[in-house]
Amino acid sequence: MTNFSMYLPLYISLLVILPIGGALILFLLPQSLRKLNAIFTFFVAFINLILAALLFGKNFSYVTPWLNFGFEIAIRLYNFSSFMLIAAAGFCFLITLYSIVFMKNREHQTQFYSYLLITLGLTNGVLICDNLFLLLFFWEGLLLVLFGMIAVGSKTAFKAASKALIITGICDLCMMIGIILAGHLAGTLTISKIHLASGGLGSLAFLLLMIGAISKAGSMPFHSWIPDAAISAPLPFMALVPAALEKLIGIYFLARISLDMFKLSTNSALSTILMWIGILTIILAVMMALIQKNYKRLLSYHAISQVGYMILGIGTAVPAGIVGGLFHMINHAIYKSGLFLTGGAVEKQTNTTNLEELGGLGKKMPVTFLCFIITAASISGVPPFNGFFSKELVYDGALERGLIFYLAAIAGSFLTAVSFLKLGHTVFLGKSSQSHENVREVKWQMFLPMLILSFFCVLFGLMNSLPLNKIIPIVQASLQDSRHSYVFHINIKLIIATVVVLILALLNHIFGVRLNKGALHASDHIRYAPILSGIYDKAERRFFDPFEIGLKVTRLLSKITFKFDRLINWVYDVLTVKIFYATGSFIRRLHMVNYPVYLMWSLLGFAAVALYLLYSLK
Amino acid sequence: MLALLITVPFFSILFFNLPFLGSLRRAITTWAYVLFCAQIALALRFFSPEFLNSFTSQAHLFNFNIALDNLSLIILLSSAIVLFITLIIATYTIDSQRQRFNFVNLLLFAQAGLNGLCLARDMFSLYIFIEIVAVTSYILIVFDKDIKALSAAFKYVILSTVASVFMVASIALMLLISGDTKFSVIQKTISGQSPNFLIMFSVVLFVCAAFVKAGVVPFHGWLPEVYSRSPAAVSVLFSGIISKALGIYTLMRVAKDVFGVNVALNNVLLFIGTVSIIVGALAALVQKDFKKMLGFSSISQIGYIILGVGSGTILGFAGAAFHIFNHAIFKSLLFVNSAAIESRTRTTHMHELGGLSKVMPITGFTSILGFISAAGLPPLAGFWSKLLIVMALILSGHFIYAILAIVLSALTLAYLLSMQRLVFFGKLNERFIKIKEAEFGFSLAAIILAAIIIITGLFYPFVLGKFILPLV
Repeated sequence: MTNFSMYLPLYISLLVILPIGGALILFLLPQSLRKLNAIFTFFVAFINLILAALLFGKNFSYVTPWLNFGFEIAIRLYNFSSFMLIAAAGFCFLITLYSIVFMKNREHQTQFYSYLLITLGLTNGVLICDNLFLLLFFWEGLLLVLFGMIAVGSKTAFKAASKALIITGICDLCMMIGIILAGHLAGTLTISKIHLASGGLGSLAFLLLMIGAISKAGSMPFHSWIPDAAISAPLPFMALVPAALEKLIGIYFLARISLDMFKLSTNSALSTILMWIGILTIILAVMMALIQKNYKRLLSYHAISQVGYMILGIGTAVPAGIVGGLFHMINHAIYKSGLFLTGGAVEKQTNTTNLEELGGLGKKMPVTFLCFIITAASISGVPPFNGFFSKELVYDGALERGLIFYLAAIAGSFLTAVSFLKLGHTVFLGKSSQSHENVREVKWQMFLPMLILSFFCVLFGLMNSLPLNKIIPIVQASLQDSRHSYVFHINIKLIIATVVVLILALLNHIFGVRLNKGALHASDHIRYAPILSGIYDKAERRFFDPFEIGLKVTRLLSKITFKFDRLINWVYDVLTVKIFYATGSFIRRLHMVNYPVYLMWSLLGFAAVALYLLYSLK
Repeated sequence: MLALLITVPFFSILFFNLPFLGSLRRAITTWAYVLFCAQIALALRFFSPEFLNSFTSQAHLFNFNIALDNLSLIILLSSAIVLFITLIIATYTIDSQRQRFNFVNLLLFAQAGLNGLCLARDMFSLYIFIEIVAVTSYILIVFDKDIKALSAAFKYVILSTVASVFMVASIALMLLISGDTKFSVIQKTISGQSPNFLIMFSVVLFVCAAFVKAGVVPFHGWLPEVYSRSPAAVSVLFSGIISKALGIYTLMRVAKDVFGVNVALNNVLLFIGTVSIIVGALAALVQKDFKKMLGFSSISQIGYIILGVGSGTILGFAGAAFHIFNHAIFKSLLFVNSAAIESRTRTTHMHELGGLSKVMPITGFTSILGFISAAGLPPLAGFWSKLLIVMALILSGHFIYAILAIVLSALTLAYLLSMQRLVFFGKLNERFIKIKEAEFGFSLAAIILAAIIIITGLFYPFVLGKFILPLV
């Protein structure tokens, strides 16, 4: 093993170089070899997975100055980052396997696979780097690839892509300022050396960095590009990037800043801000998910909503909450990827994700249905799946900080369950439409990743100590100076409350189906409830989309500045010219005279000069 | 030896007008070219410190005092170049052999007068040479016997005579005060006394006379018409050197060597300079005639030179001298271009022209160079002289005038740009679709002047170090 640790820096740098180099090779591949690019990508992702597995649990740090600017390349591998690395590598491996079939016969394959590999390389870069400047480099790189990934999806995807670019770009700008501020306050850009107190500029730096982190994770109010991208972007991208990788690195960075860099404490305002963002995201996004009529769009709203649990968990700043938040991050990535993959399977076989056209697929696609049941149960927090345990931990932390946070979180759970009951009922039960009579189960390359993910849902639920034993030391390492060691336990009262809520959700669903006649409309009584219906109407018209509001404000501003510009332009182009021409014409008319007048001018000039000069004598 | 600069043109005129000379008379054009080129070469040669050290002592011709310094040299150089260009244009615009002979005679007269003006070091000989040049120019203006030129010349004669009277009166007063007309003697007397009414009155008279000759506002009534009505070659000569030498150079020479600078006089110069810039530029903006526009532009550019003089610093003098040289070059170039256009289109009305750079590419291109230099855009020559003037104004504390000088160059740019647009860019008038580039002489003159502009602009460190800064 000494041999292995000698080559550790090489392996770590390979994590970044290999996928990005692979992407470059893909770009350069001749047209005739283009058919191999799916296999090639799969192969690279596989090597990456092996590398991540080899590096799992290793500790390593490496610093080298670069270019004499006081800037250094700092790499740090420790339990947290190596844990994240293997998770990212695993998702990427499964999604590439899935893509081999799913992306077949689609346009822009080369670009899709190259962007996927670049995304993987940059994500690895974010996870291993220990310097804020370097981190920003990878972070911004991800933004560009994100744009490309969405844009290749379809002809109409460009608008969604630019929306994503603008929203994330603005947030990244905030993060850039936060990095400069943090670097200025701490005197270093090396993450593991930064320890800042909150308050004053420190709080501002935290907020700015937090905006960068939670916007990457897709929290409200920086979420609105995700549902749009869900429709137009390629589905494997949705399953990999917004559902898994972005959550991983966003929450990873949030955990780094709030645990290592700033030592968030329970009595600070920053913690409260984070928790409020968390519960607002949970409730608002799930409310929107409830009324969606598209498989992928519905899932994407849940992807937003679930981020709220992670932010809430980390924001509580108590050990149970933080452990729950990080555990939920892993769990969410697993089941949300799985859910998106089931969505992809349905789309592949039926060519639609519109819920009104789907139904009765359970018998025709039994494996997909099974995977859906497991992952949906996970996301709804049904015991004993993994989502249940992480949510319980978050509830525990939230209850410690205040009843309102707990109530909001559990209400979110209720609505999540309601929404998934509706989705499952509509798609897999009931009557199938005639055009879908001949639908079959998908190929093994597609259902194997779903099965593996579902397996992990069960595994991390039944044997939750497996991941928790990795997560707890991470949290303890950063909290050790203030708290005694944390022991995982489950609060029985909370479990009972959760089960009651889930039963209520089921009852509500049955009631809804009866009342509104049809599974698709099972939540219509919530949609058209008094007060809520008005809000929903406006939300469907994107009245609350921060991006749209921003667009309106920008348009107004540009209109005002344009008017102002016209005014200035008028002053320069019209007024000034008129004045000059009028004066010029006046002078010209003065010159249409004969020599006596000229003579008079000269003599008057002479008199004036003489008077002035002679007067100056006295 | 210096006296040769004056005597050679005089004796050449005498020689070529001898009776019985016959066909040898035709050689006068060639001889004039030789003389002008020799003067250019000599002027360039003189710009060496060693030479100047040995030749600043005064030489004597009859009872005139003559001497040479760098200010004189710049005028010598500019006048030789402009005379050379004028001669080229004249050979192409004057058809009759006899007329051409007369014209060259007059040019040699002008050369003798201008050289004498540069070298003279006493008031009376200065006046004599001014009158020689002035009388030559009266004849030159009406050379074509055009009725409009006649009326313009009449205005010039009237105003110029008034100026001459002022000047003679001023010289008489100085003679009365100091008992001599030599610069050195008068200066010694004036600096020995506290300023009094008589001295100041003679200064006023002289300065106003110089203003009339230079054509600054409000003494400029004669100028626009003279510039626009005289024959093409004469316009070049007039705007290039005559009005500058007669007005500005005389003013600079006398201010430098005789009555020195004082605050009140500087204020007058600064004010009149600025008024000239504004009035000249605004009037140029609305002109419809190419040559008249150039005339008003000259008024505006003279304003800059006066501003340089009015800064009262030696750097301002250097900038003014440099701008005289640059103005001589770029304004000659623009007048050559106008002559080229007039020779082809028979009109100088700008609204009838347009798109001419398609059919007259050399004229169009050199005109752009001239206009860039005139507007003071880097890196061509005009920029550096304006920069020196503005720097002198700032260093002497006249910030408002410095700012005005910079802001008002936008007006210069405005009228020149609109000229460029009306004449050379845009749609070609169908009437002129078949015209060709102007004759060789016009193109040659334009190319020579454009080359001087580019060289002066690009090698400004050399030009400044060798020609201009020795003034400081």
